[in-house]
Amino acid sequence: MSASRLFLFGMCLAAFALVGVAAAEQSSSPDPVLLQTMQHELERAMSSLSKADPAPYFISYSAIEQSGMVLVASNGAIVANVGRHDRVADISVRVGDRGLDNTHGENHMNEIISASLPLDDRPDAIARVLWLNTDRMYKKAAQTYVEVKTNSKVRAEEEDSSADFSDEKPQVYAGQAGPTPKFDQREWEDRVRRYSLIFAKYPEIDNSSVMLVIDSPTRYFVSSEGTRIVTSRPLIRVLALGSTRSEDGMDLARSETFDASSFDKLASDDVMTAKIEKIADDLRKLKNAPAVEPYSGPALLSGRAAAVFFHEVVGHRLEGQRQRGENEGQTFTKRLNQPVLPSFLSVEDDPTLSTLGGIELSGKYEFDEEGQKSRKADLIENGVLKQFLLSRMPVKGFPHSNGHGRAQEGAMPVGRQGNLIVRSSKSVPDSDLRQKLIEEIKKQNKAYGLYFEDIAGGFTLTLRNMPQAFQIMPLMVWKVFPDGRPDELVRGVDIIGTPLAALNRIILTGQKQDVFNGECGAESGSVPVSAAAPAMLFSEIEVQKVAQGHERPPVLPPPGFDKVERAAESAKQEAH
Amino acid sequence: MRRFLASISLFILCAAAVVLADDKLSSANDHGDPVLKAMLSELKRSQENLRLGQLQRPYYIDYQVTELQDYIEGATLGALREDQTNIGRLVRVVVRIGDYKQDSYFGEGLGTLEVVPIDNNEMALRHQLWLATDKAYKAALSGLTEKQAALKNVVVEHDDIADFSQEKPIDAVGDLAQLGADLGAWKQSLRATSDYFRADPALEASDALLHFRILNRYYVNTEGTVTRNGKAMYSYSFSGSAQANDGTYIERSHGYSVANPAELPKPEEIQKDAKKLVHSFVELRDAPLVEDDYRGPVLFSGDAATAMFENLIVRNVLGIRPELGNPARTSGDFATYYKSRVLPDFFSVVDNPHADKIQGVTLLGNYDVDDEGVAAKPVTLIEKGVLVNYLLGRSPIRDFDHSNGHGRTALAAAPRPQISNLIFSAANAVSFDELKKKLIQMCRDQGRPYGYYVETTAPVHVAPRLLWRVYVSDGHMELVRGAFFNQLDTRVLRNNIVAAGNDAYVYNRTDPSPSSIVAPSLLFDELEIQRANRTREKLPQYSAPALSGAGN
Repeated sequence: MSASRLFLFGMCLAAFALVGVAAAEQSSSPDPVLLQTMQHELERAMSSLSKADPAPYFISYSAIEQSGMVLVASNGAIVANVGRHDRVADISVRVGDRGLDNTHGENHMNEIISASLPLDDRPDAIARVLWLNTDRMYKKAAQTYVEVKTNSKVRAEEEDSSADFSDEKPQVYAGQAGPTPKFDQREWEDRVRRYSLIFAKYPEIDNSSVMLVIDSPTRYFVSSEGTRIVTSRPLIRVLALGSTRSEDGMDLARSETFDASSFDKLASDDVMTAKIEKIADDLRKLKNAPAVEPYSGPALLSGRAAAVFFHEVVGHRLEGQRQRGENEGQTFTKRLNQPVLPSFLSVEDDPTLSTLGGIELSGKYEFDEEGQKSRKADLIENGVLKQFLLSRMPVKGFPHSNGHGRAQEGAMPVGRQGNLIVRSSKSVPDSDLRQKLIEEIKKQNKAYGLYFEDIAGGFTLTLRNMPQAFQIMPLMVWKVFPDGRPDELVRGVDIIGTPLAALNRIILTGQKQDVFNGECGAESGSVPVSAAAPAMLFSEIEVQKVAQGHERPPVLPPPGFDKVERAAESAKQEAH
Repeated sequence: MRRFLASISLFILCAAAVVLADDKLSSANDHGDPVLKAMLSELKRSQENLRLGQLQRPYYIDYQVTELQDYIEGATLGALREDQTNIGRLVRVVVRIGDYKQDSYFGEGLGTLEVVPIDNNEMALRHQLWLATDKAYKAALSGLTEKQAALKNVVVEHDDIADFSQEKPIDAVGDLAQLGADLGAWKQSLRATSDYFRADPALEASDALLHFRILNRYYVNTEGTVTRNGKAMYSYSFSGSAQANDGTYIERSHGYSVANPAELPKPEEIQKDAKKLVHSFVELRDAPLVEDDYRGPVLFSGDAATAMFENLIVRNVLGIRPELGNPARTSGDFATYYKSRVLPDFFSVVDNPHADKIQGVTLLGNYDVDDEGVAAKPVTLIEKGVLVNYLLGRSPIRDFDHSNGHGRTALAAAPRPQISNLIFSAANAVSFDELKKKLIQMCRDQGRPYGYYVETTAPVHVAPRLLWRVYVSDGHMELVRGAFFNQLDTRVLRNNIVAAGNDAYVYNRTDPSPSSIVAPSLLFDELEIQRANRTREKLPQYSAPALSGAGN
C-alpha cells in the first residue's frame, strides 16, 4: 500500500469511521461501581459454570472506558471533529487446563468477545451485559476446546510443546480513573487549523492534515485468579502528515508525531510549527529530488531512523508468539544464547520507564492487558539473544510472562513492544559521526555514502486500525560526498536484502539516544510504543529504487496557484 | 532565506488576487453560500483547464457535497450505553469523458469520493475538490478504456440508448436543515423507555435507541445546475430479545421515524407502546408453535403489507439498466412486464416525491429536486394493476430517454433510481373490520377452523413476528409463533390479493435514502404459512443476574 493511500485511508478513518460523542459526559472520580460489578459478576459466572462440563478454569473481564476526541484539519480548515465516550468489555473464558485449552494454536486470536457496557453506573444493567456475553463466550470456548482436543490427537506433535497459558501470581492495584485532560477546544481548533495551513503554502503538496488526538483510557481488569487492577494513562498526540507525488509517479510522504501524557508536557507551539514547516519543506525537496540509483556502501542512520529500524526489524521479530506460530518466519527462535548483533549492542524493552533523556515515552504502562506487572526485558545483551517479548502464552524455555502481553480492546493480548531501547558500548560523539562516515567512504573508495535522516516504519505513519506489515520505507536519504560538496537528497530508496544482515554491519554508534513515539499495529491491534536508539554507522547497506506506482501527479496546480507558478518562476529567474 | 520569504509573500498576494477574481465570476449563482461558491469556482477551473496531455477533456463534471450529522444514542435497562455524534462532509465527483451518447461512466469511472472540510473555508474546500476532480478525471479515462474493451466482447442489441440523458439545468437552492430536538431530553427518554424492560427479567437483552440524522446536500454541474437542500430524519425505537423454553429466539421491535421533531411520539405514547411490546414477550413465550402447514386465506395489516411490498415491489420498479450487453430493459424482476399486469386490477401505485403528508403523518420521501439535479416528478408506476412506468435517473433504459427525478444517492454511493413516496391504493377499498369479516367468511366457506392475521413482520426477510389465528367460531384471536411464509413472491401478489383496506399505513424509512411506503391492509385468498425451521440454541448455561424493579 502506498504511503498516500495509507494516509487517505487515515483521513477517512478519522472523519467517518471513528465513533464519537460531542459532549462526553465524563465521570471525574474513580469508578468503583464498574469494578465491583465486574468482580461480582465474574465470581457468579465462575461458581455457576463450575458445574458445567467442561468447566472454565479461567475467566477475565477487561473493561476500557474511553473518553476522548480527534480533531482533524486540512489546509487551514477543520475536516473532522470526533468525540467518543464508550465502555467496552473484553471477556475471556478458558476451558480445559493450562497445558491445553481453547486458545490453542490458531484459535488464540478468536477466543475473546467484546461487548459494549452501559456508561451509567447501574450495576444490574452492567451485570446483564456481562452475563449474556460470558454465557456466549463460554459456549464458544467449550465448543472450540472439543475441537482442540480432537485435533491434538490427530495431528503430529508440535515442535514447541509449551503450555497454552502460564501460571502467574495475581496482582492487585487500584490506580486512579483518569479524567479527560482539560484543554481549551477553541484554542486547539485554531492551532490545528494554523498548523495545517503550513502545508497549504506549498503547491507541491497534494494531501495533508494535522490531527489532535486526545485519548484517556481507564482500564478495569478482574480475573478469576484474583487479579484486580484499575489503571489509566492519558495520551495527547499531534500528528502531521503530508504527501506528494513525483512527476514519474512515486508517492512520497512525511509525517511528524508529538506525544505527551498531558498538555503541559507537549512540545511547544514554536517547536511544532518548526517541525511541521520542516516536513512540508522536505516534501517540496523530495518531489524535485532525483530517484536513487542502485548503490552499496557505507551509510549513517540518524537516531530516529535507527530507532524505527530496530522497532520494525528486531522488535517485531522478538514477539513471543512469533516463535511458536506455525506460519511465522521464526527468524530468532533457534538463535537463543547466540550472537545476533555486534557485541557492542544491547536491546531491552522497558515499559516501566516514563522518560528517556527528558523525553516522555509513549510505550510506558503499569500493567499489561493480561494484568501482569510491566517489567524490563533484556532481549539482547552484548549482541547475544537472551529472551523474547512474552505474554502469558509460553514459548519453549520461557514458561512465564515478562509483562508484555498487550492488545487494543477487542483483541487477545500477545507479546508486544513497549519502550524498545537500543544501547551501545562503542560510540563516538555525535558531532564526529559525519567524519567517520566520510572516512569509511574514503576507505572503501566510494563516490559517496548515504545518510538516512528518516525511515518510516509501520508505526511512523500508523493510526489506529490501520493494517501494516513490518515494512520499512526510507523517507529522507541524502548522498554524502567525501569531497565536501553539499549533501544531495534522493528519493525512492529501498533497502535490499534482509535487513537483519545489515544489522551486523554496524561499525559504531553515536552517543545521544533519539526517541521516536508512535502507534504500533499488529495482530492484537494498535498500541502506543516508543523506540530509542543512537545514530549508527553501517559499513554497508545495499539500496535500489523502490518499485513505484504509475499514477501521475495532479494535472492542474492546486487552487490558488494557477497564476502563482508562473509568477514564482519569473521571480526565481530574476533572483538569479 | 530572504528570497524564500519574499516568494512566500508573493504566493500569498497572488493567492488573494485569484480569490478576488473568482469572487466576481462565481457570485452570480452561488446564492451567497460559501460551499457552493467553492464548488462553482473549482468546477469552472476544471471545466476550462482540466486535460491530461493530448487525451480527451471532460464533457461533463458534477460535484455533490453531502454534509452528514449523525446523532446516535442508546440505553439499556435505564442506563445510557451508546452516545455518538458524527459530523462530516464528503464530496462525490463525477467526471465524464466522451459524449451523452457514449461516455466513461463505467467501472472505475463511476465517480470518486473525498473528505472535505466542515469549516466553510473556500480555499480548503477547493483543495479537496481539486484532488477529487483530478482522481475522478483519471478514473474516467480508465473507465472509458475499460468500457471500450468490454464492448468488444458483447453484442449490444439496443445501441440507440444513450449513456446519459440530457436534462434542463435548474437553479434550486433551498434551506439547510439543522437539528431541531433537544438531545439531552431525548437521552433521558431513552433511559426511561429502556427502564420499562425491567418488567420482564426473562428478556436476555433490550435496548432503546435513537438516530437523528441531518443531511444537507450541495450539488453543481457543468450544465449549469445548482441545487442545495436539507433533510432531517428522527428515528426512535426499542427492541428486546428472549429465548423461549424450547430454545427459539423471540425478537420484537417498535419504532418511529419522522421528518419533523414535533411528530416524535409523546412520552405517554412511548410508554404505552413500550409496555405493550414488553408484555408481548410474555404472550409470545406462551404462544403455541405452528406445527401444521397451512394454505388458505390470510389477512395482512398495513404494517405487514408495507414490509412485503418493500421486499417484492420496490426493487422491481426501479429503472436500473442491466449490465453491458444484457438486452433486458431493467435489472429487476419486472424487466419484461412493461404494460403487463403485476398486481390485481383494482390496485394502483404512484411514486410521488411531492406528497407531503398522509393522514397527518409527514412522509420522509418528500423532495423537490433529486440528487442528480433533476426536478422530481410524480410517476404512476402501476395503473389498474398494469405496470406502465419505471423510476428513472439520468441513465436511460429502453423506451425511457429521460429522468423522472428519481436519481438518488444513498450516503456516498453513485446515484441510482430509488423510490420517494411509494403509495399503494385500491379501488373498492373496505374497512379493516370488513376485511376481517371476509377472512372469517372465506375460512368458514372452506370449512376451516381458523384463518391467519399477520400484524407485524421482521425487517428485511419478511417473516411473521406477530401472527394470529382468527377463529371462525367466534372471531377470537390466538397468538402463535414459529412460522414463515412459503412462496410469497410477485406471482402471489398478482394472483392472490382479493381485497384491500381503506386504511393507509405509513412506513417511513431512512435507508438507503429517506423514503416512505404507504399501503393498506390486504386480504389474500391463498397463502402458505409453514412451520419454520427453528434454530434452537441452547438455553443460557447459568441464570441471569437479578434485576431490581422498574423505575429510576
